[in-house]
Amino acid sequence: MIEAKGISHFYGKEQVLYDISLQINRGDFIFLSGESGSGKSTLLSILSTLLNPSTGELLLDETPIKDIKDIDNFRQNKIGFVFQFHYLINYLSVYENIALAASNNKKDEIYNLMHELGILGLTQRYPNEISGGQRQRVSLARALINNPCIIFADEPTGSLDSMHTRIVYELLSKVCNKGTTVVVASHDEQVKNYATHTIRLKDGKL
Amino acid sequence: MYSKMIKTDGDIIIIQKGIADTFFSNVDVSLMNKINTLAHVKSSYAMIVGASPVGHIPIAGIYGVSENHLSHYKLQEGKYPKQSEVLLGKTLAKQIRSRSVKIGNKRFKISGSYTSKIGFEDGGVVMNISDASDLFSRSASFILVSAKSPNYTQQIKDKIADMDTEIEVKTTQSFVQEYNQFKIIENSSFIISALAFAMGLMGIASVMSMIVNSRKEEFGIMRALGKSRFFIIKNLFFETLIISFSAYLFALLLSLLILQALPHIQMLQGYVNGSLSFTSAIYVLISTLAMSLIGTLIPAWIASKTDPIILINQGCS
Repeated sequence: MIEAKGISHFYGKEQVLYDISLQINRGDFIFLSGESGSGKSTLLSILSTLLNPSTGELLLDETPIKDIKDIDNFRQNKIGFVFQFHYLINYLSVYENIALAASNNKKDEIYNLMHELGILGLTQRYPNEISGGQRQRVSLARALINNPCIIFADEPTGSLDSMHTRIVYELLSKVCNKGTTVVVASHDEQVKNYATHTIRLKDGKL
Repeated sequence: MYSKMIKTDGDIIIIQKGIADTFFSNVDVSLMNKINTLAHVKSSYAMIVGASPVGHIPIAGIYGVSENHLSHYKLQEGKYPKQSEVLLGKTLAKQIRSRSVKIGNKRFKISGSYTSKIGFEDGGVVMNISDASDLFSRSASFILVSAKSPNYTQQIKDKIADMDTEIEVKTTQSFVQEYNQFKIIENSSFIISALAFAMGLMGIASVMSMIVNSRKEEFGIMRALGKSRFFIIKNLFFETLIISFSAYLFALLLSLLILQALPHIQMLQGYVNGSLSFTSAIYVLISTLAMSLIGTLIPAWIASKTDPIILINQGCS
């Protein structure tokens, strides 16, 4: 489904990824592990099309990423993102944040998803009016609203307590069981309990 | 103000030859008698323009006018001045409450007060030209002539020019355009306002650019969620239009209020005045919108071409 061929990346003169080649199949739950600074987030950003690699090639369903004509549409409909710091837009309400990501009018789906995630009561609240755990669930709802084929999560539980951490991983696992590919970059070893495969990065190398 | 006075009161102006400023011009007032005999002349009047301390007021404009022109000043109270009498502009009248006032070395009886359509005249003093002649030691600063029809202006002008070699005869229109002080004031005002406006425009562009740069994280999130460059730029375009148009309307209303209030500020005695033409207002609107859009769309376009994750990280840093 996703294939990385010889990916390297530089920030200025500093090389952070070295010749990475890997393959991720449909329905996999991938745990991308490694210590802080190992290049996990950079690799995740490249795999999720948010960052162009300095060298190498990324293929999605055997199509090179650079050949996809409407990458915005692809990102909106095929990929979901969960970030460590939520990255919700502060001047939009919880509902509007989720609706912003929706590919078209999905009012009922949004309410169903919010109900499923236990945030239905927060519809009209703003991100700075809710807790960190609630924000992360809103972020999850935003990632799931278009039923993406792949979900990328970068340290999705970095700012959560153990109870909320468990809830997030169980939810991602549930989504994965329905056929969605999940890639989680984290230094939290408990992801291993939910993952089907683990990819370990050290100093930018596999 | 002064140019407005000259333009509205006559078609032809006669001043002393080779004198750059009407304040120093001296024209023989008896020339009016000859001018009035010319064909197609509707009327003429002479005027002395000067400035002098008036009572406790350090400086005020003095207008010595021939008798046939006194009615130009609309009486607010009292009557038109006779010899050794003066009529005070309404602004000045509010500050001088006595029955007489000392102008130069002479005391004049106050015969009443007047209002004028030309704001700065309201801060001055009107007296008979003979009194002004004694005060400023000259016959007349200039003579203004009105033709029965604009078609005769050139013909009358040529005939007057032949009457005396010491005078310069011009249409009031060309006089105002050529008069050095008007030119200096007009050019200086234009340069100062153009510079202020240019700086304002650069300020607008800079502020809009800073706003866009401070929203990089938001654009990065939107791009990560699959929103297109066009979506982001279109939203910014309309946001900018609304913000800059609202700011323009506010500034326009404020300017109009200030312009309206200026002639009524007693301290300024009507000397400070201004106007805003429709064309200028439109130019300002177009320039404001253009600079706002340039300031917004260029950084937005650059941002939209950047990888989403870099935008998010730049926004966080």
